[in-house]
Amino acid sequence: MSIAPNFKDYRFCLLAAALLSLSVVFFHPQTSAQVSLYRLVFVVDITRSMNTEDYQLDKQPVSRLQFVKHALRQELLKLPCGSQVGLGVFTERRSTLLFEPIEVCSGFAEIDAALAALDWRMAWAADSRIASGLLSTLEMLQGKDQNLVFFSDGQEAPPPNPRYKPDLSALKDKVAGVIIGVGGDQLAPIPKFDAKGQRQGFYKPEDVPHRSSFGESDLNPEKIQGYDARNAPFGSEAASGDEHMSRLHESYLRQLAAESGLQYRRLTDADSLDQALQQAAFAKPGTHTVDSSWRYAGLALLFLVMVYLK
Amino acid sequence: MNLGFEYPWVLLGLGLCLLPIWRIGAVANPYPWLAILPIDPLSLAISALIRLLGGLAIGGLILGLAGAYLQEQQVERIGHGAHIVMLLDRSNSMDNTFAGKTPETQGEESKASAARRLLNQFVDQRAHDLIGIAAYSTSPLFVLPLTENKAAIHAAIDATALPALAYTNVSKGLSMALEFFDSRPVTGSRIVLLVSDGAAVIDPDSEAALRELFKQRQVSLYWVFLRTANSPGLFEMPDDPRDDNAQAMPERYLHLFFNSLHIPYQAYEAETPGALQQAIDDINRLENRPLHYVERIPKQDLSTRCYAWAAAMLLGLLGLKLCETRP
Repeated sequence: MSIAPNFKDYRFCLLAAALLSLSVVFFHPQTSAQVSLYRLVFVVDITRSMNTEDYQLDKQPVSRLQFVKHALRQELLKLPCGSQVGLGVFTERRSTLLFEPIEVCSGFAEIDAALAALDWRMAWAADSRIASGLLSTLEMLQGKDQNLVFFSDGQEAPPPNPRYKPDLSALKDKVAGVIIGVGGDQLAPIPKFDAKGQRQGFYKPEDVPHRSSFGESDLNPEKIQGYDARNAPFGSEAASGDEHMSRLHESYLRQLAAESGLQYRRLTDADSLDQALQQAAFAKPGTHTVDSSWRYAGLALLFLVMVYLK
Repeated sequence: MNLGFEYPWVLLGLGLCLLPIWRIGAVANPYPWLAILPIDPLSLAISALIRLLGGLAIGGLILGLAGAYLQEQQVERIGHGAHIVMLLDRSNSMDNTFAGKTPETQGEESKASAARRLLNQFVDQRAHDLIGIAAYSTSPLFVLPLTENKAAIHAAIDATALPALAYTNVSKGLSMALEFFDSRPVTGSRIVLLVSDGAAVIDPDSEAALRELFKQRQVSLYWVFLRTANSPGLFEMPDDPRDDNAQAMPERYLHLFFNSLHIPYQAYEAETPGALQQAIDDINRLENRPLHYVERIPKQDLSTRCYAWAAAMLLGLLGLKLCETRP
């Protein structure tokens, strides 16, 4: 008896092929796939106007800040693993970073907790000079390979005086990113809180400055009632206005975006944020290695099953 | 055992394991009359073995293809370490050198960057600690919860490289740091590591609140005071007794306040980066109480083992195949 004929048996060949195919698996075959990764720095406006409640979540009115936090926490789940997210806050005339970008999957719990803890009471000063804040943010991020995502409602407090507008031209196009407009189109009252964080109704007209009273007015002095160059550069009349109410100042944010070379998008729901962030302009090429051993194991299975078919 | 599958639908393929029962997968030899053959237990056993090998090989392949894995497990261990909340001062003066100047020439290090470098080293040395970070200026900033994610902690420490903020409001910062220990089991050491270069007066209301918080939370406090040259120190008595008040010497009074808390408290007056190193070494040496911590055993892939199993079965089948006889 010889075993030689057995080598020619088709079942033997199939079994040998299955074993051969399966043995490839033990060399850990991998294929690499191109994926889009993101390196984003979220800077969130935490000034008082962001407490205005003109968004809805589960049919409950929520403040702009809460809605931004909600949208960001949703977005964390949507970013592909390997992407990185940093977080900062803006108030007064500058912003600060809480942390440099952290990988989203391994650092999910930490980023999520930091987002949840964002609060208007973190503000170290109370002005809201958005143009200056944007300038300081751009200075902070220039030369880094990070995309800025700046959330704001565009309401400066006190209102901006075009004469003293910060010059963003030096930093134009130095940082790629997007300004996300937050808020509704209708004027809404801004909640007021006392030193202990208790709510005290809303801001009233007499609580807020309705114009900037620093330096000189941008108007022609002849047009200003009761103008006096030294004693009353803004005229003698008390300013009145609706600065105690808030809405999204979209045209102002668009203008800031144009001056700084950023894009402008509006936050309407969590999906709109995802579209604004996961765009080709921000994508950084990354490779993702995929284990391809299933192909060889599958082939082995096919061969093995064929042994039993006839 | 917490077995999981990446692609559970592949498990439907386990039905294929029954194939070898239906067909044995061997050469059929013609025989005139089967009924004449006596029942041979050995032959039956070998036949069953061949079918079993086939079924097991198919099963192994299917389990491997379904991506079998052991779920992430948490094992409670006892080690040495602490829960540390770093409370970092982000006030303007941290951007100056220890000599109180803006860093100009190369080699001069600002207080903030010295602190950053040493804290980063410190974090790397503490293997099992949970570390949280809060910062404060005029108001407290929550940065990171207590975490073991070292990369995140480094990212937060590095973010203090950016220009600092406004004033120093240490009492709010301390209350925030103490809140980190809410709803945490008391195990190991609990530390608040305050890194600042100045102090401020604590108003009586927050003083009372802080006293209570410190007592409840059983926290020990380390204050690394990055003293600028020629500024009043923690232990210095003023020359003029009229200056001996909280407004004129907030650092001394904050130190007295911490001492009066009756908690483990240690102050370090660091006038050079070297002294800061000393403080960190002390913490490394002293704060190593037994700590219950949870070690995460990451998800383990089992598919390679399934494939190895299937390969072994295939090898057996191949061997048996060679023993086949032909007419």
